[in-house]
Amino acid sequence: MSKIALGIESTAHTFGVGIIDFKGQTHSIVNDIYTPETGGLHPAMVKEQHLTNFQDVIAKALDKANLSIKDIDLIAFSQSPGLGPVLKLGALVSRLLSQTLNIPIVGVNHCVAHIEIGRLTCNIEDPLTLYVSGGNTIVSAFESSRYQIFGETLDLAIGNMIDSFAREIGLSHPGGPKIEKLAQKSNNYLELPYVVKGMDLSFSGLFTAAKKLIESEDYEKKYNLNDIANSLQETAFAMLTEVTERALAHTEKKGVLLTGGVAANKRLQEMIRYISKEHKARFEAVPLRYAGDNGAMIAWTGVLKYKSQGSDLIEETIIMPKERMDQIPITWRK
Amino acid sequence: MNYLCKKEEIIKKGAEANLYLGTWFGNKVIFKCRIPKKYRIKELDQNLRTFRTINEARALIKAKEHGISVPQIYEIDTLNSTIIMGYIRGQKLKEIIKNLNQNEKERIFETVGQYIAKLHQNGQIHGDITTSNIILTSNNQVFLIDFGLHEYSDSIEDKSVDLHLFKRVLMSSHGENYEFCFKCFLNGYRNEYLNDSEELCQLIINNIKNIETRGRYIKKENRV
Repeated sequence: MSKIALGIESTAHTFGVGIIDFKGQTHSIVNDIYTPETGGLHPAMVKEQHLTNFQDVIAKALDKANLSIKDIDLIAFSQSPGLGPVLKLGALVSRLLSQTLNIPIVGVNHCVAHIEIGRLTCNIEDPLTLYVSGGNTIVSAFESSRYQIFGETLDLAIGNMIDSFAREIGLSHPGGPKIEKLAQKSNNYLELPYVVKGMDLSFSGLFTAAKKLIESEDYEKKYNLNDIANSLQETAFAMLTEVTERALAHTEKKGVLLTGGVAANKRLQEMIRYISKEHKARFEAVPLRYAGDNGAMIAWTGVLKYKSQGSDLIEETIIMPKERMDQIPITWRK
Repeated sequence: MNYLCKKEEIIKKGAEANLYLGTWFGNKVIFKCRIPKKYRIKELDQNLRTFRTINEARALIKAKEHGISVPQIYEIDTLNSTIIMGYIRGQKLKEIIKNLNQNEKERIFETVGQYIAKLHQNGQIHGDITTSNIILTSNNQVFLIDFGLHEYSDSIEDKSVDLHLFKRVLMSSHGENYEFCFKCFLNGYRNEYLNDSEELCQLIINNIKNIETRGRYIKKENRV
């Protein structure tokens, strides 16, 4: 039997454990997701929940995979970037497992993991990636041994912006899917700020403008919530698509990979698929099970890193909440 | 369009616009056509294309008035979001930078620095200064093209961002040349400012550092 890696994802609201073998076969994915009753994610509260549940999540994942903890050959964990306290917990649990079981440990970058699991599950060798989630908005492609960042958000991440807007109108977390449903009910477009700076994006003005539409006197008279949701999505996604298209024309990659939690949005998929076709590139949206935060992507990236660089020393497993993806040498790719 | 004005062959299919060669009353011209993007809804698409077409044409005209070498505008067709402008025979700086000696590089980057300073002094932000948007003609004249992301602003911040973006382009595409080229560029920029507002110029240049350290996930010790 092939060797087995266990990956621990702990950067934000998801404490995820994934078990994957060295050939890339997934054995199990179990997630525990923190959902705030009101407001956004408070790092300390998230950590509390993960601390309470981590043992269960690991046990469940092993159970589902029909494996014992002794069958694990490698521990991988999300080392960067994310919420400090949450990252710390994941690293702590991973070091503990590695040391008690006496097996190698590797820390991986969360953003790189999103790309690697996409390449594996969609079987796409060298794509341009649009990674859109609650914490990140990045257009990236592989060049000179790094995942270079061609464009990114200058302020809010797209998922964060949509969730925050949902919260303003009283929808509970996560707001993205709810906004998508509202948007489908409207064909009305209200003009909102469209901010693309070179290859970078800015969503904060868009958020404020959408909020103002709700506070305006015309609300429920000249337009309704569905119209705002529709306009918000149309504007934000057109911005993302424009930047992605520019990067695609520049890099001339033959594939486009859409990943991250927001990749589940059908309208965004439609838009990115359209420009991929225009540039004769293959379009793939990572299946939601692998697109949102999960342990399998960490485990798989851990396998790649371990095969090319070997184990991390324990003092190298320190967390890096602010590490940029383009700082990491990708030693397993040419 | 009549027979005096003819679109001939496509020379570039860009992400935003297609460029065609053609003739306009006997002149060799470029048609810059912002093509409809079907992925976005009609209203947004029309707004963006019309706005960018008018914005770019106006910016080019203004820049020319300030004595910067840019393409001559002949005609604007807002309905089809097309600009007809003079064709500049030459090569992109990006393509020939490797073959240039230090003296030539110095001259070209200083000139570009002067151009950008002139724009900034007049409240114009180019928005997309890259080595693909600088053309060198056979008689060694430096032209600035593609004002598609042009904006009007008098803030230090916007001007610094303009310089910062160029620095990033130089670093990512021309690593080994970056320091010398950017130094010459800043020299040209400073010289142009020298006469009346040296202090303001220094503020703009110093602010580049602030912008760099403000990026996402920059290490704490590198922040200001």
